This record gives sequence, C-alpha cells and structure tokens, in this order.
Amino acid sequence: MEGKVVFTVFRHDPSAGERPRFVRYEVPYRSGMTVLDGLLYIKERIDHTLAIRYSCRMGICGSCGMKVNGLPRLACFTQVSELGRSIKVEPLPNHPLVRDLVTDFTAFFSKHRAVKPWLIRKDAEEQENPTRQYLQSDQELERYIQFSYCISCGLCYSACPVVTALPEFPGPQALAWLYRFYADSRDQGGRERLRLVDDATGIWRCHFAGSCSQVCPKGVDPALAIQLLRRAVLRG
Amino acid sequence: MSERRLMLLHYVTGIGILITGAVHLWVVFFTVPLDQTIWETTMLFDNHPFAILSVYRNALLASTLWLLLVFTTYHAMNGIRVILMELIPNRSFVSAIKWVLIALGLFLVVYGTRTILIAYNIR
Repeated sequence: MEGKVVFTVFRHDPSAGERPRFVRYEVPYRSGMTVLDGLLYIKERIDHTLAIRYSCRMGICGSCGMKVNGLPRLACFTQVSELGRSIKVEPLPNHPLVRDLVTDFTAFFSKHRAVKPWLIRKDAEEQENPTRQYLQSDQELERYIQFSYCISCGLCYSACPVVTALPEFPGPQALAWLYRFYADSRDQGGRERLRLVDDATGIWRCHFAGSCSQVCPKGVDPALAIQLLRRAVLRG
Repeated sequence: MSERRLMLLHYVTGIGILITGAVHLWVVFFTVPLDQTIWETTMLFDNHPFAILSVYRNALLASTLWLLLVFTTYHAMNGIRVILMELIPNRSFVSAIKWVLIALGLFLVVYGTRTILIAYNIR
C-alpha cells in the first residue's frame, strides 16, 4: 500500500459553541503506520488545533482510545494497512466529549473506584502494613489472571449498549475488575464486593451483547467476568 | 426484595414456563379426552364445545395451568420492569411503575385463578 490515506476526523469544541463537523485530511502512507501516527502527522503538519490524547504509543497506557471506522480501538494499536485508504475517526461513545477526539473519563474512573479495585483484608492493620507475602498457587492465579490484563482504556465501556441506555450501569470494565479481585485468593472482600453491584442498575442489567469482549485490545473477556460474577451473586 | 432475589425468581419462572408450558401444549395437542385431541375438538367447536374443560377438571393439569399463569405473570411483569428501567432511567418513575406492575400482576393472577376455579367446578 502506497500513496495517501484520507483521514476523516470528527471536530467539535463544545465550549466554543460550534457545530460538530468532519474534516478530511490527506496523509502520506508509510509502512507500519498506525492511526495514531496519522493523527500525529495531521497535528504536526496540517492542523495544530486537533485535540488528541495519547501517551505510550504501544498499546499499554490505554490513552488513545477512539472510534476508528465504526469500532472502538486504540489508535496506536491499529495499523492503517488493516483499514484501507479511507479512515474515519471519532471520539469514543458513552464518554462525554471534551474536544475533538478527547473524551472525559471522570464517570468511567469513578465507577472503577466504586468497585474497590484493590485487595481487601479483614485485618485493617495488616491491609495497611502487610507483615508477610500472600502466596498463590498456579490454579489460584488462573482464576483471575486474564482479567488483570485490563489497561482501563475504556473501549469496552464505549462499546457497551447498556451503558448507552442506562448511564448508571457500572460497565464491563468496572465489573471485570470487581470479579478480578473477588476471584483473587488473597482478597477477603467477598460478599462486600458482591453487594456493590447487586442493585437495580448493577450487574443484572447486562444483556450479554458481548461487544465489550469483541473490542478489548488486550484479549480480556469482560462478558465472561460478568457471567461469573452473576453466578457468584446468585449463590450469595 | 433484593435485586438478586428478583432476578433469581425471573430465571426460575423462566424455566418453570418452559416446563409447565410444555405440559400444557402436550395436553392440548396429544391427549385424547374424547375421540379427538383437545386442539381438534376445539377447532371443531360444533362437535365437542366443552372438550377443553376436561383439562380444567383434572386437578393435576389445572394446577399446572395455574402455575403457568403465575410463572408467566411474574416473568412478564419483571421483564417489563427491566425494560422500562432502561428505557426511562428515572428512579422515581421506576419506583412508581413497580407498584403499578405488582397491582397488574396480582389482578392477572386473581382473574386467571378465578377462571380456572370456575371451570374446575363446572359439572
């Protein structure tokens, strides 16, 4: 693939009171180019006012989530060669817009914090000042290891149809994190954790559309975590 | 009642509908109380206008029908509650509609029970 790639980029600044619009940019293609590379080319050489958020450029930090050709993806993790010559880039759905491709993750991270994503020990003193290591077997590790690969990029949250319909729903990321700690043999949160999501807007509202698992760039399966969590809640 | 119990009942009644519904359909399509199945005699109304009453007059089948009524009513009312909750995510509306659905569900069960009892007692 050689020549130019056309980026159609969503542009909108809510604070300026302007109307949302799509702007076309032509970017020269080079081998190995990612969508983030293309956007940075636009920002550096064509339009400095384009707002994007990124950090590590290698699929670890989860900062550059955006909707690329209709699907939530990490811009740094998406090769232009996979998409063809025409690429449409929009901000992530289900997150309030800040500007252009930058979205506000405040609600997302407050839901993340609400599920207490840390190990809970019954002994408060031990929790603050651990006196020993808490060893695990391979089998105990396997119960939650895949869910710990989550980088909190928010792609699953933006793909979730339930979050769209019911903004109070915790979302797949928070629920997967909850299960990750619930399934951890070192954790003593148990029922306290389950009660956090056993309400009218909690875990029961998942439709099991599975779009969260489809879009996860790290291969995490939040839909599975939600089903396992439901089973745990049902068993009390 | 906690959401966990509400949804547990939702799943249990769903399985209950499958079982009692299967019994109901089996009775209607495959049992032969007179010289035809209930479905056939109901379709040929002139021949045996009250063949269906044979179902109600059997205590076991009438009980199954009543269970089907209760399971279906609960499952439907809770399903509507869940749909409305997502359609109109307003806590006070959801709380209000819950009582409307409980009242509607009770009415359906009472009215259906009345129908089954009346049919059961006809001689």
